[in-house]
Amino acid sequence: MATTTYLSSPNITINSVDLTDQAHAATLTVKYDALESTAFGGSSRVYTAGLGDHELTVDLYMSYAATETYATLAALVGTATTVKVKPASGANSATNPEFTLTGTYLEALPVMNASLGELSSITLTFKGGTYTVATS
Amino acid sequence: MAYRIISPRIGALGAIYEPSEGINIDALLAAGFIEEIATSSPKSARTKTTTEAPDAEQTEE
Repeated sequence: MATTTYLSSPNITINSVDLTDQAHAATLTVKYDALESTAFGGSSRVYTAGLGDHELTVDLYMSYAATETYATLAALVGTATTVKVKPASGANSATNPEFTLTGTYLEALPVMNASLGELSSITLTFKGGTYTVATS
Repeated sequence: MAYRIISPRIGALGAIYEPSEGINIDALLAAGFIEEIATSSPKSARTKTTTEAPDAEQTEE
């Protein structure tokens, strides 16, 4: 049983603001550039880690009400901030680690995404930043 | 500079907000999540000093 089903527990904060109730998808990808270190005599390509290039993609329902989605994000586009995600809303632990990107950059903000008869939703991508994991 | 939480999306209302590394304070202020609170340095205790007039020489006539 190597599956995790998310129903309502995942927790997400953007610039300290808890937007869990507006989020419906989140993917944090931890990635390091692969630097080839294959040398003469090697029979297979080998790589070593380069710079970290992490990324958080999050889907949020759009709301223009006070202290909601738009108000939280409007002043963040084009700047760096801190985002945190964790599997459940409880305390940090080894089984509920909190993943943080510090100094991650919000390049673009879709200020409107309207389709007739559908809830407005936007997708944000936070690029880069320092990746840390808190288990306590 | 100190800040007070005025939106429950940040934390308990009225609590002091202590930003962690990388937080964009200007964005939080602009959107009304926190507010600045005036911080005044505590006044030092005032000590009462008395200045005594120089002793006047008393002369008896």
